[in-house]
Amino acid sequence: MVSPAFEILRYRSLLRNLVAKDLKVRYKNSALGFVWSLLNPLLLMLVFTFVFTQLLDQGIPDYPVFVLTALLPWTWTASAIAIGTGSLIDNAPLINKVYFPRYLLPVSVVLSTGMNFVLGLPALFLLMATFDRPFTQWMLYIPVIVAVQGIFLMALVLFLAPLHVHLRDTMVVVDVGITAWFFLTPILYSVEMVVPDLAAWMYRVNPMAAIVAEYRTILYEGGVPDPLFMGRTGVTSLILLGLAYLFFQRLNRNIGEHL
Amino acid sequence: MSLSARGAAKSDIAVEFRDVSRRFTLYHERRNSFQDWFIGLIRPRGRSEAFWALREVSFTVGWGESLGVLGRNGAGKSTLLKLVTRILEPTAGEIVLHGDTHAMLELGAGFHPELSGRDNVYLNGSIYGHDRQTMAERIDAIVQFAELEQFIDTPVKHYSSGMFMRLGFAIAVHMDPEILVVDEVLAVGDANFQAKSHRALHQLKAQGTTILFVSHNAEQVRSFCDKAILLENGRLIDSGQVNDVVDHYERLLAGASETMELMRLRALDSQGRTSETVAPGEDIEIEALMRVPDEGIPDDVALGLDLYDQDGAHLFGRSSRVPPDLSLNQVDGGNLATARGRIHKLPLREGELRLVATLQRTGGDDQILGRRETVISVRSSGISTERGMLHLDHEWNWSADGRVSSEQTGPRKGK
Repeated sequence: MVSPAFEILRYRSLLRNLVAKDLKVRYKNSALGFVWSLLNPLLLMLVFTFVFTQLLDQGIPDYPVFVLTALLPWTWTASAIAIGTGSLIDNAPLINKVYFPRYLLPVSVVLSTGMNFVLGLPALFLLMATFDRPFTQWMLYIPVIVAVQGIFLMALVLFLAPLHVHLRDTMVVVDVGITAWFFLTPILYSVEMVVPDLAAWMYRVNPMAAIVAEYRTILYEGGVPDPLFMGRTGVTSLILLGLAYLFFQRLNRNIGEHL
Repeated sequence: MSLSARGAAKSDIAVEFRDVSRRFTLYHERRNSFQDWFIGLIRPRGRSEAFWALREVSFTVGWGESLGVLGRNGAGKSTLLKLVTRILEPTAGEIVLHGDTHAMLELGAGFHPELSGRDNVYLNGSIYGHDRQTMAERIDAIVQFAELEQFIDTPVKHYSSGMFMRLGFAIAVHMDPEILVVDEVLAVGDANFQAKSHRALHQLKAQGTTILFVSHNAEQVRSFCDKAILLENGRLIDSGQVNDVVDHYERLLAGASETMELMRLRALDSQGRTSETVAPGEDIEIEALMRVPDEGIPDDVALGLDLYDQDGAHLFGRSSRVPPDLSLNQVDGGNLATARGRIHKLPLREGELRLVATLQRTGGDDQILGRRETVISVRSSGISTERGMLHLDHEWNWSADGRVSSEQTGPRKGK
């Protein structure tokens, strides 16, 4: 049995090409191309800003920055899950004709949507500068949070993609789940506004709450990230990734039959 | 299933199957949704049926050997291919591959329509584990082989199917595979492409590539492979030197056709004698002789006739059901039935014409009961004033000074 580490090394250029293909194909036929992936969170930001400063005034200062610091990473999560869940079925012809490590398909979706997220960060920085929010040395910590989020998302799609092959309505549940998850994660509101007992629970069961809170601490508040807190989320994500990989390999054995 | 790393100590064996079995579960009611799953909680097992596509198959292929894989439809050839290429895993047994395996199961599999030919070459290369640099060194040769110099930066969705296949084939032969699996890809493309791909495969074989070649075509296997295996109902029933196994395969096909056999195919001249030449614009009469079992002619048999030119281009083909009430001649060997066909005014100019008759079941499995062919040459009897590939029934009407003279076609008009 080839170890996964050896295999991923051998197939690293496939991973790179799959990511490049995802990015190229996604923007191939649209006039605005990459701008679209940025426009979506920016337009949502405008809507939410109107709702939460004009219709309902929550008294959160510089609300556009507040919401965009959470909205950008959330967009990564939502798109990675939505596209990643379907990644095996979308590539069924390839899977049935050639051998290559199948887990590269969902993993490449996490990476390509992650590229979009990273490319969107300058827009956020521009907004921060406009509102005169602080730029601190703690921003160097951002790549660590990105890595933790990436590992967490890989674990999720490695679990959901093969499940979707066996139970085709996984996607329907995922669609609803993403919307529910959006409201259960402190994106439009801050954790401080949540009933304290429930806030503790939120952190415990929802890794996205911890991830979003860290982005916001660094980018919105200019504060110090909590390494212990991120460490815990990081370890949880790694364990999840290991379990998801085993689950994936198990369901993957006869995947060709079900596609 | 195990795969030794490249560069590890190599034995003389490239591919080894040890008692490999593969089972498929045929669900009569597939559980593909939560609704079905909940129903399943109440009514435990959905009806399903195990089907063994391969049973305890063992064989080895040595380095540089080419192995033909023969068998009728449903014998397990495709399953075996998918196991060799690791697309499927065996249910039981072990498969040992001592090298990089590259499959040509479908040319251009994995092409993305929106990407250019060039991007697809890199993507396809990386599917087989080749990095960008390796592919950059080979891309010129690939593009040249595929004859796509002008179109390599065009998205492949604009390619014709021929261009698509040429690119797929060009990539496959430039991957330096150690083990190559070929599934009847030679049957596609125009005659030119077929000849080219045939040469490329022979070259790979000469370079020592181990090749597994799957085909229905016994002659193709005979000419290309050293050894062969024969599958029947998922079991390996013969293996050995290619000629012995192909003979066995043909006997198997013949034995299976205890219903009817195609004995002879010939072209006739106007006096009913066997003819080897025909002039452009003349009629050809074709006679097929069939052996019929004592029970009479089964009602699901069709006789097909196909015409090819010397380059292998398919000119014409048609199948007709053999009428069950055909009159029979009783001879020593059994009952014989004769079918005669006539092609009127052969619209071809000089060249070889290959006639292929096929006797085939039509009841769904299209099992071939017999196949015969004969070659006749098309030649003008006198000096021809015509040019081109086709002989057309034509006529000029000259109109000069109000007078009309007519010059008609062909030397045999006056007959």
